[in-house]
Amino acid sequence: MKNKTIVFGLLLALALPGLAAKIPDRPEKLTFPKLTYEPPNGAEYRVPLKSGPVAFVVPNRELPLVSISILVRTGKYNEPKGKEGLAAMTGYLLSKGGTRSRSAEELEERLAFLAAGLSSSVGDTSGSVGVNLLSKDLDEGLTMLREVLTAPRFQKDRIDLYKTQQLQAMKQRNDDSRNIERRELIRLAYGDHFFRSQVTTKASIESITEADLRGFHQAWFHPRNFVVAVSGDFDRKTMLAKLEALFAKWPYQGQVAKPVPTNKQFAKPGVYLVDKEVNQGRVDIMLPGILRDNPDYYAVQVMNDILGGGGFTSRITNRVRSDEGLAYSAYSYFPGGTYFPRTFVAGYQSKSRTVLYAAQIVLEEMRKITQDQVTDKEIETAKASYIQTFPQAFETKTAVAGTFASEEFTGRLAKNPAYYKNFRAKIAAVTKDDIQRVAAKYLTPDKVAILVVGNKEEILKGHPDHPVNVKSLTSGSLKDVPLRDPYTLEPLK
Amino acid sequence: MRILLGLFLVPLWLGAQQVAVKEHQLSNGMKVLLLERNDAPSISGGWVARVGSVDERPGITGMAHLFEHMMFKGTPTIGTKDYEKDIEIIAAQEKVRDAMRSEERRMREMWRRGEITDLQDPDQKTAEWKQLNEEFKKLVEDHRKVIVKNEFDRIYTANGGSGMNAYTSYDHTAYFITVPANKLELFMWMESERLLRPVLREFYAERDVVFEERRMRTESTPLGKFFESFNSLFWESHPYSWPIIGWPSDITAISKKQADAFYGTYYMPQNLTLVLVGNFKSKPALALAEKYFGRLKKGEGLPPDVVTLEQPQKAEKRFYAEAETNPNVDIYWHTPAFGHKDTYPLSVLAQVLSTRTGRLHKELVLGKKLATDTWAWQGARKYAGEFNMGAEITEGNTPEMAEQEIYRLIEQIKTEPVPAKELQKVKNNFAAAEYRRLSSNHPILMQIMRSEGLGNWREINEAGPKIQAVTPADLQRVAKKYFTKENRAVAVYTRKPGTGGEDEDPLLAGLDAQSKAMARKMSSSINANKNLEELKKQLAGLEAQLEQAGAKAPPVMKVIRTVLRNRIAELEKK
Repeated sequence: MKNKTIVFGLLLALALPGLAAKIPDRPEKLTFPKLTYEPPNGAEYRVPLKSGPVAFVVPNRELPLVSISILVRTGKYNEPKGKEGLAAMTGYLLSKGGTRSRSAEELEERLAFLAAGLSSSVGDTSGSVGVNLLSKDLDEGLTMLREVLTAPRFQKDRIDLYKTQQLQAMKQRNDDSRNIERRELIRLAYGDHFFRSQVTTKASIESITEADLRGFHQAWFHPRNFVVAVSGDFDRKTMLAKLEALFAKWPYQGQVAKPVPTNKQFAKPGVYLVDKEVNQGRVDIMLPGILRDNPDYYAVQVMNDILGGGGFTSRITNRVRSDEGLAYSAYSYFPGGTYFPRTFVAGYQSKSRTVLYAAQIVLEEMRKITQDQVTDKEIETAKASYIQTFPQAFETKTAVAGTFASEEFTGRLAKNPAYYKNFRAKIAAVTKDDIQRVAAKYLTPDKVAILVVGNKEEILKGHPDHPVNVKSLTSGSLKDVPLRDPYTLEPLK
Repeated sequence: MRILLGLFLVPLWLGAQQVAVKEHQLSNGMKVLLLERNDAPSISGGWVARVGSVDERPGITGMAHLFEHMMFKGTPTIGTKDYEKDIEIIAAQEKVRDAMRSEERRMREMWRRGEITDLQDPDQKTAEWKQLNEEFKKLVEDHRKVIVKNEFDRIYTANGGSGMNAYTSYDHTAYFITVPANKLELFMWMESERLLRPVLREFYAERDVVFEERRMRTESTPLGKFFESFNSLFWESHPYSWPIIGWPSDITAISKKQADAFYGTYYMPQNLTLVLVGNFKSKPALALAEKYFGRLKKGEGLPPDVVTLEQPQKAEKRFYAEAETNPNVDIYWHTPAFGHKDTYPLSVLAQVLSTRTGRLHKELVLGKKLATDTWAWQGARKYAGEFNMGAEITEGNTPEMAEQEIYRLIEQIKTEPVPAKELQKVKNNFAAAEYRRLSSNHPILMQIMRSEGLGNWREINEAGPKIQAVTPADLQRVAKKYFTKENRAVAVYTRKPGTGGEDEDPLLAGLDAQSKAMARKMSSSINANKNLEELKKQLAGLEAQLEQAGAKAPPVMKVIRTVLRNRIAELEKK
């Protein structure tokens, strides 16, 4: 098994094109040895366990460490109305609230003594439970992991502490303009009714009981909803036997995982402004996004890389940051969503008086890329970057196990098992026409919605050298978004 | 249970997990550190300049960081289509900028007299300045015609380079990137070229970028400006007292000429260390390093040393801030510099106190429920260190209450030896971290560069055994030595009134945090009291006190009076 599928070769004979050779004036004149690389094949690590889950098992004897990570088919979308926060709370307390045989204190103390990490969480569309420990402690770690998964205690004082901490964190919801930006961005990008916008409130967190936690846990934390990634210092066969035991004879029936909702709704065009007393405005220029299995996905990635995803080599960074010095960070991202289209965002932070001017520049760049073909140099650079940095996805054995577990979890391994094998060829096939086509298709100016968080008066005043009318930016109007009560999230007057 | 202790004390420390870095030196004095690793077909490479914000002076604070930004602007052949025209325009720009600087000097005078209120306000610039700025903008337009934008980054990107970045700290500056294993020579070419002949083009636009970075990190965050101010209070004589990013007045005043001088003083090969981690062979890599970096001209002697020492603190310092934040207390003590023998027990102590099974969490969060979060860490900088502890306070309590509890825990450390099992738990975690840190090339590179920047890369291997040798007596010794009242500075944060987050009784509005906590405690006992007679007696006593105090009566007394009256009325209704 050792290094069977991670293949790369360097022809070192060519590595030194003569130390005596003169140093050229441009790096293009250097010659480099050929580097070949084939990505690992997920199928080779895949083991459907008799006890339910599919596991990806990647031994690595270099260091005396073992990492086990269990992905769980559940998420925030399973929260009943009025119980917002239940998913995250269950996820957190699963490993922090004790188990049948050990109190929270005893469990934490023992883990700390072994220098082992045992953590759990539930996010929007997945849950995760993981343990990372020294291989000498593997058996004890697995015993603790089994108890955490099957018999969590949800100790009362830990429930109370978690609630106190959440309420404490809630108080800070309007303190940092970044937090306001994140919250409002989700509402605008996905709509008030989408599950991602159902934010925890004081009432919802206070209403959650131990019974709610047990209900959520027993419904979803079942081996048939698990995908497992294991890597590190073990013998493969022995590990497989241990994993079978870990998931055998589950005490609960559990429910079949529900599909993630897709009923998102993108905001109406316009500029949405939250007034907040800070000297720098935070801006997000948004458009409805795409799914990652959209056939345009590869062209969209290359296009976005040229537009604003490629750091200093991309247009938005060049104009907003390097040319004009208007922002430290200016970027765009266009991720393909796994379950629902993920929003396109071009964003930056700029001093109040230049917020609108920078928005105008970003919108101009978005228009330009739909109107004119990108240059040969731009497309070649972007494609080469995707292709040559590709091996990093599998840099460590933990990454190999984790990447394929995630592919299994999201269904792509079944649907498109050659995704990684073909990735570089798909990127290489993208043309300048493709880029212009997808830019025109997805960067539609009439749909643009802009979120601005900052000092309203100063922002609308604009800069004397670069006057911009806020109404000219979108096809909609300027809308004031009030701050929200940190506990209820109802708009404040 | 105590008797069984011995069973748990199997030491985890194997002492064998050395990072097998090999040290070399080029003919010009530049240090080279090589670590071969063959997990992935890539190399993480970087270099450290032993210069940071401590090497600045008032007037050019922020220079080390701004210069780091300028190192990405290219060379005579990277970043321009026409180098001659390029430097011609840069020279012309400097002329206009000199004139603008004279005007800025005049504007500062006007500011001193109050004729200008805000030097940053575009509306308050003088007509002369605006005129010169127009001239400058024209030169920028001309310059754009010969500039090849961010070409330095583009070349790396097109060759599979990733994660290109740099950071500036108080003590050192580090530049780094990951390249495919076959592009080692490209790395050598690019990094040596920019060190050999950097061209600081687009200097003034980059200065504006840095100012936006300052707004982003320091000015527009709830606590950034307070941390900056507190840091300046904590460090008195040492140059650690100014922020790495620089004072706003200085960022807008630094000139390209000053940046050129800074480069000449600090970016000489004897002051640099090159580090490679990844898939390469050391012998040819070292030969390439000599070929490329060997071109850097050896400077005359070393750059100036930092001679100003921090004055021993004479008295406790206290800092009270009302901010958009939950109440918290943040305490700093002066501790010794990186590599000092006391830093190892201090690091162990920080772990005894922090983490979820540490003493602060157990006592303040789980036990007394004074805090929702606690922290403790020992930070060694190159020239001096700091130890920090703090807590975020729960509703109904004050930062000062947590502060006293922290001092109680410190006294406990001083007087009672830390039990063997507790110490072993902490050491086990240090030992396991020796393995965990070896996950992949980039994080290893960062550890080596940081350690080298702080004074000695060998610490990544030498610190481990020293940590494992720490005894309970060492912990007591350092606690007594450093955790004194005179050696500390305390920041107390309370929520700025009217910034939300309050869910309290409107009665308490306007009270300071301590009074609020007192009022809440008393209210809850009053509202739990069913004895009408006793309450009436309390009210009468309070009325008498209020009368006596007159106008000087603390507002909290009136609040309590209202609470008492309400409770009495409530009970009488029943």
